[in-house]
Formats: sequence, structure tokens, C-alpha cells
Amino acid sequence: MKRPDGRALVAVFAAAIMAAAAPGQETAIWKAGPRRSALTTEVPLIFHQDKASAMTVIGLFVPGGRAAVPAGLDGLAYLTTRLTLEIPDEGKARDLMAQATRMTFSCDEDHSLVVIECLSENLEAALRVAGRIIQDPLMTGLRIGRGKEMMALYAQAEEDDAVLTGSNAALKAFFRGQSYGSSGYGSEATLKAIERKDILAFFRRYFTSKSVFFSAVSDLDPGAVQALLEKHFSKLPEGERSEIPAPPPIIPEEREVRLAKDSKQTYIGRAFAMPPPTPDGHAKGTLVEVLIGKGAGSRLWGLRTAERLAYNVDSRLTWTRSAGVLEAFLETENSKSERASDALDRELRALWEKGVTAAELEATKTMAKAAFLRQVETKSARMRVLGQFEVLGLGFDYITGLFAAIDAVSLDGLNAYIQAALAPDKALRVIVGPDGPESR
Amino acid sequence: MDTRHREASVAGAGMALALGLVLFAAPVLLQADDPGRYLVLDNGLRVFLLEKRDLPLLHIVTGFDVGSKNETDATSGIVHLLEHCILFRGTASRSGEEVGADIRRHGAYFNAHTGQDLSVFEISLPAGEAEFALRNQRDILFDFAVTQAELDGEKEVILEEFNQMEDDPRLNATDLVLQALFPGHPYGRSVYGRREVVQAATVEDLMGFYRRYFVAGNCALAVVGDFVTADMERMVREVFGSLPKSGLPADPLPMAAPLKKSAVQRLERDVKDGYLYLGFVAPDYNHADQYAVNVLTEVLGRGVNPLLPALLRTERDTVQTVDMAYIASRYGGAVVVSIRADPKDIPILERTAVNTLKRAQSESYSKKDFQGEAELYAFDYLESAKNQIRFAFGRADESGLQLAGSLVRYILLNTREKPGRYLDEIGKIDSSDLRKAAAKYLARGECAMVSIVPKKEKK
Repeated sequence: MKRPDGRALVAVFAAAIMAAAAPGQETAIWKAGPRRSALTTEVPLIFHQDKASAMTVIGLFVPGGRAAVPAGLDGLAYLTTRLTLEIPDEGKARDLMAQATRMTFSCDEDHSLVVIECLSENLEAALRVAGRIIQDPLMTGLRIGRGKEMMALYAQAEEDDAVLTGSNAALKAFFRGQSYGSSGYGSEATLKAIERKDILAFFRRYFTSKSVFFSAVSDLDPGAVQALLEKHFSKLPEGERSEIPAPPPIIPEEREVRLAKDSKQTYIGRAFAMPPPTPDGHAKGTLVEVLIGKGAGSRLWGLRTAERLAYNVDSRLTWTRSAGVLEAFLETENSKSERASDALDRELRALWEKGVTAAELEATKTMAKAAFLRQVETKSARMRVLGQFEVLGLGFDYITGLFAAIDAVSLDGLNAYIQAALAPDKALRVIVGPDGPESR
Repeated sequence: MDTRHREASVAGAGMALALGLVLFAAPVLLQADDPGRYLVLDNGLRVFLLEKRDLPLLHIVTGFDVGSKNETDATSGIVHLLEHCILFRGTASRSGEEVGADIRRHGAYFNAHTGQDLSVFEISLPAGEAEFALRNQRDILFDFAVTQAELDGEKEVILEEFNQMEDDPRLNATDLVLQALFPGHPYGRSVYGRREVVQAATVEDLMGFYRRYFVAGNCALAVVGDFVTADMERMVREVFGSLPKSGLPADPLPMAAPLKKSAVQRLERDVKDGYLYLGFVAPDYNHADQYAVNVLTEVLGRGVNPLLPALLRTERDTVQTVDMAYIASRYGGAVVVSIRADPKDIPILERTAVNTLKRAQSESYSKKDFQGEAELYAFDYLESAKNQIRFAFGRADESGLQLAGSLVRYILLNTREKPGRYLDEIGKIDSSDLRKAAAKYLARGECAMVSIVPKKEKK
């Protein structure tokens, strides 16, 4: 679509879009909920006004992420996103530094994210620089090489964290080392295989006005933020909206992953592939995550307090567009690892066999909703959640619909979900500790 | 920068050693136009109430002026163990399981931290559960009871926490640096304590600390969230007002002395990365130099593209991350620099980092340090750091639990009658203040140094 030009036309167009935008939703959580509009370039903007601080945080969501990385080029999404934040003009970089503006990025399963966070008084200066570098990034061989060197170091550093190592191993197993199961930072071989043309092609394919969207939380008026984004992000290439595959998880034939680590504790985890994140599926998955490992009174809590097997018992649910991956895990002294492993299986089996009671479900619903409120209390976290819901296909306004989805989960519905998802024979066993042989 | 980074266990009793939690906890709210309501109950309990009405949440932090500083070699670890038991092992009227079930039924986040100075207890839950939250905290904190069997159960959890800390190179290095930085001072004991003390602890050991320190006069309570101040004040008075009045424990400690000689520990572990931690003695929570050291920390190692990593990377380009934290405690402070890099470069980075910090006393930090045309091109590190502190304040405004924790810390640690508005004091700092602070705290080069690198492979 051709962009309109002319200041007057832009103003009229913007006003029309703002008028047509969905009104701020009245919710039980916020007096005025987040809203969606579109820039003159048709790039969507999800915006939530929040006057709790004089800060603005804006995220540029680029759908794709690890799911969009071709086989054998692990690390491509991360490297490309990193290069969009290289600031060639030292003076501009210094201006941002002086204003304490932060530009960071991440690369997740279904999207890459560039984050601009600043004192609101400095927003225009921040967007001026961000717009320039992101829309026309400097992808020289020197910068690509430097990026690869740092990624190799980051990949190495991840292995010092047993919980993260276990989590990565689960995703790798369920997705056979590709797409969601590829390595975010790549490996020596894949980094070597990535060429400049691959990076340029990835950028041109996904960093387009047809693909990306903004998520913003600010004390400023929505119109002011939108006008600044239109001013400084008018040159995103249009491109085409790329279809990005979302492969489903496949339960591996080999149900155990052992990774050797000479540590005092052993990480013991069980991972399950969960149904896709529909509103109902997301609500049920969230409840199961809270039920199993979040806080005092969770299903795994007794392994800590009564059986004294661990300090850290926890659960974690990673969402992709195709599925969730739920991990239930603990870290225990090596001499207790067999006992802890049996106890973990026993608790999960009991949940699968007997399900939850009505009282437990109600308590879990209360816990899940309160935890979600805390999760979105800060602007930065809320911006991410808004964008994440959009990427997953739930829609940004699921942030105000999650409570209703949780309330709608029935006892029978949750127990049926648990029956289907947590069957013991579908569990992937992940162990990181001194007793395991080398990684397979 | 993958977002699936490691997260702390939700309800695990955490250690305040995690630097982010004990960073400069200034009286953030005193900057605000509506600074809330401060009151002292007849029994000596100090209370701060602050309305934050953007979300239907309530955050309560209760702090006691007791930490590892109050221990001896013979009791090292008892405060940490006590904190765990208070949180998870029940009261005179409820078992630990019952407390846990109540907490869950009311949707609460529930945690505690032990530090060098303070023990703090947090609860955060839907705003409509205010009365439960206050009564629950009163019950666990002021009606604590534990059996030897329950205590023995919690000891094993604590020993697992020891293991976890020792497996984590960052936590382990921080703990060791702080111990080495304060030899002979109570701050020189690990907040985690000693394994043998924990293993041998009796109920009477715990109750000795509990009876002495867990009293209203040694406590501060901050409530931040979605409430009407008058209603909350009434509720606080009703729940906590009947606690007995008791004298404050009087055991002031000496201020920590400057380190006389560097202490170096080089450890090998099953890690892939190299870790280098440096600690320097710094001003205490109430010292006039705190503002300059806070700004200096931003300039050198915390903010956006600070000086130290840039200088270290010119020496070794395998430097991944550099961070610098200022921990201001009641009887002394610490500046801790943490560096991650390729293990083979750690030895040279030891020297380079110390020498770079020594030179900080003669750096130019402000445009005003330059004359003529040079002023136009110079980067104003000072101005940048001040903006970064404003940025950090802005972020802190958004988190109710962080605000409540900061308030409790301020109430219990501040000894100045008129400390002034924090950002105003930061605003007064100039480049020469930074050089003076660097000369005083960094230039002598004496530091506590801990490096952790991969084990050498056996031939």
C-alpha cells in the first residue's frame, strides 16, 4: 500500500484512525485498558496509558523469532535483531546515553523484540535515533563478526545455569533441535554458516511494516506517542507479511535427556507438551503451572517442606503459537537425586490420576490472577505481555480477558486437560548433574 | 538476552545478597508530592502507608533491625534459619501447612530476605485481602512457635540453599567478596551462615534471637497499594496496636574499617565462563559521600554504556558483562564490580580492572572539566549518571513491593535528622566530588577479589 504523503493528509488520516480505534476498554483491572490503533503506515500500535511514572517503554515486535530461523542457521534471528541496534553515529549514541535512554532486544520463540525505554521527556530524541538505525541498520562484516563472537560467549555462559540448561534441553527435544528448539545464540557450526546475505534476507523479510507492530506503555497521551512513532518510523519497508511456520511439539522416542555437570545439586525436571494457547488453553495452562510449582502450597511444595528434598521447587510454562512446554522441576543435593526424582514423578502422577479438588481449583484461580497482576505492574513487563499475547494469537486485549478465561475454567474441564496433557508416559525427563553421562 | 532466563523461586526465602535487592534503597517516596503517612504506634512500631491506586494490589513489607550483623561465629546462620522458620513453619495457632494453605487461598506472594542489617518479610496480594494480610503477618511475625522437628526439617532446606548458592558462581562470588571485604567486622560473616551452626541449632537458639529482636520497637511496617489511608491506618492500629511495648535492643556496632590489604581468592569450578568479582569498602547508608559514590557507580559500571566495560573491552574483547553495585549498609558499605569474560582472560582483567578503578580519581566526568572546543566534543558522564538515577527512580515508582521495601529500609537504617531530598542531593554532585570519592574509596587499590574459572582438565 502506498503511504499517504503531505503533512495535512497525515494529520487527517491519523485523526481518522484514532477515531476509529477501539475505545479504551473498561476493565476491572484498569480504569482504562489498553487500546489498539494503527500508524499511517498501517503498522499497529497497542498502547496503554499509565501515569504511575514519568517513563515510556516502547517495544517493536517482529514476528518470527526462533520459529523463523531456517534449519542450520541457529542464531540468525538473534544476530539480525542485534544488528538493528548498532548505532553508527557516536554522537547520537552519546546523546542517548546522556539521557539515560535504554535500547535493548531479545529473541524469543515467536518474535524478536526491540525495546526503547526512557524518561518520557526524552522520547522524541530516543525515537529519532531508534527509527534511523532500525530502519536502515548497519550490517557490515565487522559488526556481524563481532556479533557472532559475543553470541558464542553468551551460549557458553548459559551452560553455567542448570535451570536454563534444563529448559533449553526440553525445547530442543520437543522440537527436534529446529524452530522453537533451535539454539537462540546458535552453535559454532551454525554461526559459521550464517552469511551476510542470510541476515539481509531475514531483515527484509520480517522487519517490514506488514509484519511488525508496536506495543507501548507511557504516561504520555496516546496521540502524542502515535505521532512520534509516525514521524520517526515512516520508512519501514512494506514487504509482504510472511507466513511463519509453527511446528507442533513431538514427544521424542528417547524420553530422557541427561547433561553432565559437576555441581553440588542435581537439576531434575519433567517436561510436557501442552495444547496450543487458545484463550481456554492458555487459562488452563496457566492454572496448571501455578498449581504445580508456584509458591507455598503448590503440589511440589511438600517436596521442599515435608520431604526436605530441595530449596528450589518450581514450574515454568513456555508458550509458542503451536503449544506450551511445561516444566516441573527441582534442584536437590546429589545424594538425594534418586529419591527426589521418584517424589517428583509421584506428585505429578497423583495430579494426573486424581486431578484437583474444587477448593484447590479456587485457590489456584485466586493465586493465578494475583500473580498476573503483579506480573503486569511495571510498564516494561506489561508492554511485553501485551505484545506476547498478540504474537500468540490471543490478541492484546486478552490482558483484560485473562481473568474471565480463568474464571470460566470448570473443575471437570481442568481435570480433563490434566488427564490429556500430563500423562506420565508423555513426560520428558531432564537431568542436569554430576551423575549423568555426556549430553546426547 | 533470551528472556527465558533463570528466575528465583516464587516463594523461596531469598537472600538479600542478590545485589538488585540491596542496592541503594533511598527514600524514593519522599520525592513525591504526596509522600504518604508516617506514624509510630504507642508500642514503638513504625508504620508508613502509601496509596498506589493503579492496580488492585496491596504490598506489605515488614522489617526488623536484625541480620547477620547481630550474629557471632557461634550463631552465624541463626537469623537466616529463623527467617525461614518464621515464614514456613507456623505459629502458636497455625501449622506451617495451614499458613501455606491460607496464603494460597488469598492469592498471596509471600517471601522473606535476610541481609547483613535487616530481616524483611513480604506479602503481596489482591487489595481486598488487606485484613487477612495484616493479621497473617502479625501472626507469623509476633506469634511464632516452632518444634525441634519442624526446625530440623527447615535445616535441610537451608543446606540445600547453601548448595544452590555454591553452585551459582555469581551468588558464591558475591558472598565470598563481602566476607573478605570486612575482616574482623560482623559484616565479614556470610549472611547464609555456617553449615555446622545451622546443623546444630536448637529451638532455644532460635527463640533467643526471636524474643530479643522480633518486637514492635525493633520493627518497621510499610503498606503500599490500593487502599484509603484512613481505613488502612485504622486496620493497622487494630491489628498491631495491641503488641506489647518493649525496649529496643541496644547493640550498636563499630563502623567497618577500610581494607588494609587486598584479599584474593581464585577458585575452579565446573563452569564454562570466567567470573571476576571485586569489592571495595564504601560509605555507609548515612554517610555524606553516599551520593557521590552512587553517581560514580553509575558512571563507571551501571548505567548505559558506562566507562569501565568500555575500557576493559579495549584490553580484552571477550568481556561479556560488567556490572557495578553500591551496597549501602548501616555500618559500612561496599562497591562490588562483577565481570564475566572468557576464562583465559580473567587473570589480565584482574589487573586491568583494579588499575582502571585506581585511575578513576583523575578522570574527567563532566563537560565542565574541559575548556574551549574540547568541551563541545566531551561526553558528559556526570549528567548521564544523574539521568540514569532519575530513570531508576522512575522504574521504582512502578513497583509497589519495591517501594514498600525501600521505605522499610529507610525507616530502619536512616539516622540523619534531615537527610534532604535524594534527587536534590544527587543534583549537587559535581565532577570533583566524583574524583574525591574515587580517590577515597577506589584509588588505594585494596580490594577483595574472587575469581571463578573452569576446572583444569585432568591429563
